[in-house]
Amino acid sequence: MKNSTKSKVNNVCLSYDAVVIGAGHAGCESALALARTGHKTAIITLDKNGVAFLACNPSIGGTAKGHLVCEVDALGGQMGINADKTTLQLRMLNMGKGPAVHSLRAQVDKHAYHDNMLETLLNQDNLTLIEDEATEILQEDGKVCAVKTRKGKEIKTNAVVVTTGVYLNSRTIIGEEIKDSGPSGFKNAKGLSDSLAKLGYEIVRFKTGTPPRLEKSTIDFKKFEVQKGDTHIQTFSFLTKKANKNTHVCYLGYTTLKTKQIILDNLSRAPMYSGVIVGTGPRYCPSIETKIVRFSDKDTHQIFLEPESARCSEIYVQGMSTSMPKDVQHQMVASVNGLENAQIVRYGYAIEYDCINPLGMFPTLESKHVKGLFTAGQINGTSGYEEAAAQGILAGINAHLYLQNKQQLILPRDSSYLGVLVDDLTMKGTIEPYRMMTSRAEYRLLLRQDNADARLTQIGRDVGLVTDERYNKFLKKMANIEKIKQKCKAIIKPSDELNDYLASVGETPAPNGLSIENLVKRSKVEAYSAIKALGLLKGFKKSELISALTEIKYQGYIAMEKQLIERERKLEEKRLTADIDYTLIKGLRKEAAEKLNQIKPLTIAEAGRISGVNPADITVLLMSINKL
Amino acid sequence: MMIKDTNTIAAISTPLSSGAISIVRMSGPNSVKIADSVFKTKSGLTPSQFTSRMMMLGNFSASDFCEQAMCVVFRSPNSYTGEDVVEFQCHGGVQITKGILATLIKNGARLATPGEFTKQAFVNGKMALSDAEGMMDMINAQSDAEIRAGYNLLSGALSKCAFDAQKELVDILSELEVSFDYPEETIEYITKNNAKERLQNLQKVIDKVLKTSAAGQMIKNGVNVAIVGKPNVGKSSLLNRLLGDEKAIVTPIAGTTRDIIEGSFSINGLRFNLYDTAGIHETDDQIEKIGVDKAKNIIKSADIILFVKDTVNETDEDRNVKNLLDSHKHLIIINKADKLQNCKDTDNILYVSALNGSGIDNLTKRLYDMACEDKHMEGGLTIANQRHIDALSRASQSISDAIANIDTFTLDLITIDLNMAYSALGEITGNTTSEEIIDAIFSKFCLGK
Repeated sequence: MKNSTKSKVNNVCLSYDAVVIGAGHAGCESALALARTGHKTAIITLDKNGVAFLACNPSIGGTAKGHLVCEVDALGGQMGINADKTTLQLRMLNMGKGPAVHSLRAQVDKHAYHDNMLETLLNQDNLTLIEDEATEILQEDGKVCAVKTRKGKEIKTNAVVVTTGVYLNSRTIIGEEIKDSGPSGFKNAKGLSDSLAKLGYEIVRFKTGTPPRLEKSTIDFKKFEVQKGDTHIQTFSFLTKKANKNTHVCYLGYTTLKTKQIILDNLSRAPMYSGVIVGTGPRYCPSIETKIVRFSDKDTHQIFLEPESARCSEIYVQGMSTSMPKDVQHQMVASVNGLENAQIVRYGYAIEYDCINPLGMFPTLESKHVKGLFTAGQINGTSGYEEAAAQGILAGINAHLYLQNKQQLILPRDSSYLGVLVDDLTMKGTIEPYRMMTSRAEYRLLLRQDNADARLTQIGRDVGLVTDERYNKFLKKMANIEKIKQKCKAIIKPSDELNDYLASVGETPAPNGLSIENLVKRSKVEAYSAIKALGLLKGFKKSELISALTEIKYQGYIAMEKQLIERERKLEEKRLTADIDYTLIKGLRKEAAEKLNQIKPLTIAEAGRISGVNPADITVLLMSINKL
Repeated sequence: MMIKDTNTIAAISTPLSSGAISIVRMSGPNSVKIADSVFKTKSGLTPSQFTSRMMMLGNFSASDFCEQAMCVVFRSPNSYTGEDVVEFQCHGGVQITKGILATLIKNGARLATPGEFTKQAFVNGKMALSDAEGMMDMINAQSDAEIRAGYNLLSGALSKCAFDAQKELVDILSELEVSFDYPEETIEYITKNNAKERLQNLQKVIDKVLKTSAAGQMIKNGVNVAIVGKPNVGKSSLLNRLLGDEKAIVTPIAGTTRDIIEGSFSINGLRFNLYDTAGIHETDDQIEKIGVDKAKNIIKSADIILFVKDTVNETDEDRNVKNLLDSHKHLIIINKADKLQNCKDTDNILYVSALNGSGIDNLTKRLYDMACEDKHMEGGLTIANQRHIDALSRASQSISDAIANIDTFTLDLITIDLNMAYSALGEITGNTTSEEIIDAIFSKFCLGK
């Protein structure tokens, strides 16, 4: 392994079909997608030890994020496979709720995750990993043409995907200590911000943060509540045959009144409040000091202790993200029951970084100013590994389609969380790091984890990313789902067994029997366990049964969402061209016209989703395009 | 892409009559230029030199007359329509007013369609859709009560109701959503019972507003009153008496009954449409039969029926007619009271004389009271617009679906119903973004790592 690393890293040519800048979660997916679709691709990283590094929490998935991982997988991406391989503990969240919000979350081994992804990159045909820093992107006649590096190379290329994460002009902040640095002590990237600004992007500054890591042996775990993984493990990837076992547990505890007092006493030294931090941070991921200031009525906040890796004894303290000075962090940690003697291995810090205003790109992730230039991940103003990976694969696919001179892929909101994410970014922009949430998706019941393949695998196949193995598996699953649906029309004959089961879940008996369909549709019947208990529909896989039964049980609501999509689709079909000058449209409010001119929506439906464009403006737009 | 941008519209803004003054209004990009060509003050200033919103005295020159008039310029965007607006006030009088309008049109303006100024105001973002609709209703109002209903809508009473309902929905939705997106927080998550109770209260509020829609429709379209009875009991003379006293406006109304409407009159500002019917009696005559069938249809669609008789005693024919009334709201009118004695009104029997007018005041008062019964007119909030009624009904329906499903389905499915309710209300308020729910989540709950 080591040898091949050496031979492939830095074996730099001066010309590639495509160059990916950055090898985080977005960059890896982009580069793999490009290489796998046959393009000679270079991926530039500052440090190969930073490839697919989990700089913050050691977990993949979670609410809405689990959906994104399944979607990346369905398109033929790597994140799901890699997470499945390196899982330490796995839980399906929201099991007590409906199928739309079931979300898979895995604690993963962050070292193993990095190693596996690095190995995948190095073993990928057509792909070269380059350790260097991209400092300038060159264009010619409005098309991207080359990338210049710190080591003085000029790499000719026809497509560039920029995935710089939080590394761009970043600085880390721990109390009064401010460092010109990337995350976790990695080098940062300089120079590229100016180049991106020159290429027409608007540069904005965002902020995020991470909690301290503790030494496992110094924690009194008895004072915490154990959080075990699921008994039945499911996987992210539709390809994974055998899931990892749960090997680790997490722990739940609480901060104390003392913690609150320590933070309040030291607020003047908190960079968030002393004016040191200027970047906009996310509301959903506040530092502990922000939580205490904003929700002053709460005396305690929950924290989770999560394992970082099987290979080291670092423990991640979820819930205690902070940029307080080191001495205050010591006091804060010690104020928690069970952490009195805990040793801080790495301090929590805030990190500020440059990113672009996502309104500067099309819903293909291509720049509005330079052809062949794509961006993906945190540079687009998002947060999260999963959001990054999802954009990464889309940017990779579209760079590939661009190179082939084919029409690029735009995923509609009813196709995927990825579609929702990109649509939100490119139509509304974002004023804080954007996190995916299930509440952002209006067709939630259609965008489930279990049917990500039904929604996206054909698309992945069409662009050339889905392997025969994955595609055949997919076709078989789809065929079996159809078979199950047919079989569900069959009548279950009346029996004591049936009525006993119905009674056991609190349902009324069925003296004349009933169809499987009607059994499943009964409100108190949990479809999958009913099928198992009654020994029905044998010979099908659990994943097939779950997809089919969900669609049967929630038929009514699914139909309702489809109806809504149909209504919206009419507006999607009303196309707008990029050459419209909205200030010339009579009756359009100035604010709306300016927003429309800035964003250049491709359809009336898109226009309607732009913030600052109201329904009256859409009426005017409809009136004026009907006149054309 | 260019969109043609030269529409300047003009119209007479005051009722066309021989009142003291009339106003002619012109709006659009060329309005000041057109005004320059026809209006000049004594000192030689033209409208383009006028201070905005300052009224100037001068001469309006048409091709065949020159008239002293006042002129005021409102420059974009500070005008009713948001465009450049010029208004002329002239001496009332049909010929002069029409002459001024004709001159403006000759000089490049276009005759405005009814309500077009308001439409421009809406299109230019000077007023919200529901305000604009309120104004339209006001312009088209045919009676004082319609104007009051129009005013209420305009003043935003309806938008406020929809807005408040949406706010409560956002609140409930954010409580639900936070439990899906943040299932592991130390938050007191909303319970099914709590959500159900709040939804039930919300539905009550919306349904109360919906009830006013019956009144709204009545105000807009008028109250339909049918006069029935056997031949020769004085139906026509009663009709003429009712219309005559009020200087009847004969208004043809679209619909299946337009051929039978006789006219409209108003009581306390509420419009009543009178329908006469052929005398109802069993007959073998084919032509008369058609008339009788028609009359039966009128009875079906009428709000109030006046059953006219000429004696207290009931004949077989009277009884036949009475059977047709079923449970319809009706009054029994004993006509020709001038020829009777002991004419004491009871709950639903009134004595009138179409001939000398006695009892007619009493009859109109009863008609008005009957029309306002059960219509919740007292709250002041009325919805005189079908689109709003439709949107509110759908919101109410979705909320009631949510309430019905909440015990059997999981809460994430209930949000589908609630989001439909939210977007139905958004058709009134214009708010349709899910961003609001997310904002509510973050402002209410302490979340995250």
